[in-house]
Amino acid sequence: MAAMLEKMGAENADEVKMLEGHIEHLKAEITSLQHQKEEIDRDAMFHFKGPMLDALLIVCRQTRDKDEEVVMSKLKEEVEELEKDLRLQTEMNGIIVENCKIKTLFRSEGKWIRQVCVSLQCSHMVFQVDFQVSETKEGPTSEKKVIGLNVVLDSDDLQNCSGFLSRVEESLDLLLLFRTLRNFSDRCDERSRTFQHLQEKFPSVVSLPGGCRSEVMSLRHPELPGCVVFIHWAVDIFTEGTVAPKINLLTKISEKALELFPSQPVDGAAEAFQSLLRILGPEAAVECVLRSVSLSQGDNVWGEKQLKQS
Amino acid sequence: MENVSTNGVLTHLSQLEVRARSPGGPETQRSRVKELRAEAEELRGLREQLKAEIRALKDPCFRQHLQELRSSADPRPSEDPPLLQMMCRQLDLKDLLHGHHLIGGLDAVQTRQGRAVCVSLQTTYEGVFLETFNLELELKPRVRIGRHNIPPFVPLQSLAEQSRLQTDPGAFLSTLSQHLNAFVGRRRQLQLVKEQHASVEVMESNLPCSILVLLFTAQTEKAAVLCTLEYSDHGSRLPGRVVLDCEDKQLLKSPEWRSCCATLMKTPVHRALARMKKSSLIL
Repeated sequence: MAAMLEKMGAENADEVKMLEGHIEHLKAEITSLQHQKEEIDRDAMFHFKGPMLDALLIVCRQTRDKDEEVVMSKLKEEVEELEKDLRLQTEMNGIIVENCKIKTLFRSEGKWIRQVCVSLQCSHMVFQVDFQVSETKEGPTSEKKVIGLNVVLDSDDLQNCSGFLSRVEESLDLLLLFRTLRNFSDRCDERSRTFQHLQEKFPSVVSLPGGCRSEVMSLRHPELPGCVVFIHWAVDIFTEGTVAPKINLLTKISEKALELFPSQPVDGAAEAFQSLLRILGPEAAVECVLRSVSLSQGDNVWGEKQLKQS
Repeated sequence: MENVSTNGVLTHLSQLEVRARSPGGPETQRSRVKELRAEAEELRGLREQLKAEIRALKDPCFRQHLQELRSSADPRPSEDPPLLQMMCRQLDLKDLLHGHHLIGGLDAVQTRQGRAVCVSLQTTYEGVFLETFNLELELKPRVRIGRHNIPPFVPLQSLAEQSRLQTDPGAFLSTLSQHLNAFVGRRRQLQLVKEQHASVEVMESNLPCSILVLLFTAQTEKAAVLCTLEYSDHGSRLPGRVVLDCEDKQLLKSPEWRSCCATLMKTPVHRALARMKKSSLIL
């Protein structure tokens, strides 16, 4: 028994030594292979790992010992995880990234420059942003910066933002750009919802000459064709990306009508509206004007009453 | 075995005893062997994988496939094998996520089986990517701020209340990102003032960089001018108030100095100082 134990002990010790030696040898081989790979793949295009790597080897027929079905199901799992992440990011950012193309423009030892083209949708606004990012690595320190920024617009809404956009393109402030565009889009949505709601509520008085996404709403009483009140609701962008609505009331009243009525209520209308805005806020103030234009008392709107009677 | 014949039975017995008592006893030695065998197999697998990758990389047809996968702009034809289609989908998703990360300056990862979200908030100033802050949002039972490394002078709780964290965590993160970027921006401006304008002395600054007191020398009579910049809105990188002080009160009433006050309110301080130097207002 003792002899057997001793024999096993000695064999184990020998095997341990042999295995340890073998492992050292393998580690050295692997390091050299990794260097070889880095040498060949200078563009670092080949940074696939896990199921993607296996899939690539299968597709290019470089391997025979990977089971295609197993790799496919693992890859599908990875894709589902990524789709979950994308939904989360979209919710957090409040912007839909429709397309993102990243191209390496330049790569050398420790430095690379990439071109990024993103197509985005923010509520009703669709636009494209192109920018270049450079990354430099020198030992432990690394620096990443935006070196070019260009906003290409597809949306009519953003015509008034050209000042802000050129400032932000100059200051290369990516984050400010997107935060501001998101806030701007929210404000435009708020305006559009209010206009639409009021048009549905007072169909004979309200008209939206430019559609519900435009800046102008016109109010006129059906029996007084020469008198129109315009609400101009602009959304302005200030320095540092502050977004705020600027609402003005404009009246267009025919000469004859002006002769019949004292001018004060008409002239003072715009100023009075500004006070109303400060007290009630945009939606309530506009609705107030609407009610007075429609000459309604309380909740019965003149236009609707006529319709019901006929 | 040769030990037995050369050293005698007693020596042999004592060797056995030593081996039995030592940590390298037969049992542990066997498990060590198992461990090493497993490690060796893993390393062999890695070696074979690397060899396959190198063979593939040397194959021009393979490189062409890679190029095609990376550069396809249109949706790939549906005749492509499903594996290739799935690979394209993975690449597209990764690029979309990268896009999100760049435009939003935040990277959100679900943790604890969807019960929490870990967010990394990026800060930048004048295009340069600066530090990242991290925050964990617990989602259940209600949305709550968990662990974070956000500086204490950023009023997390009041920001959360203002931006309705419960219903819209995205809006809260956007406001928080604005505050963090504003702080980092002000701090960077101060650094640039120290680096670029040695003739300007920084008399006072505070941790959130919301107060800055500078001393510069006017060209006229080399008068000392004390400039206080107050950043009352911590979400802004520009001061809300600028106060200039000088023994020579008349100096500050001149139109150049009045307009420089306006410049300091609208332009980042290091750039405003550069302009003032260029127009020979200060040394």
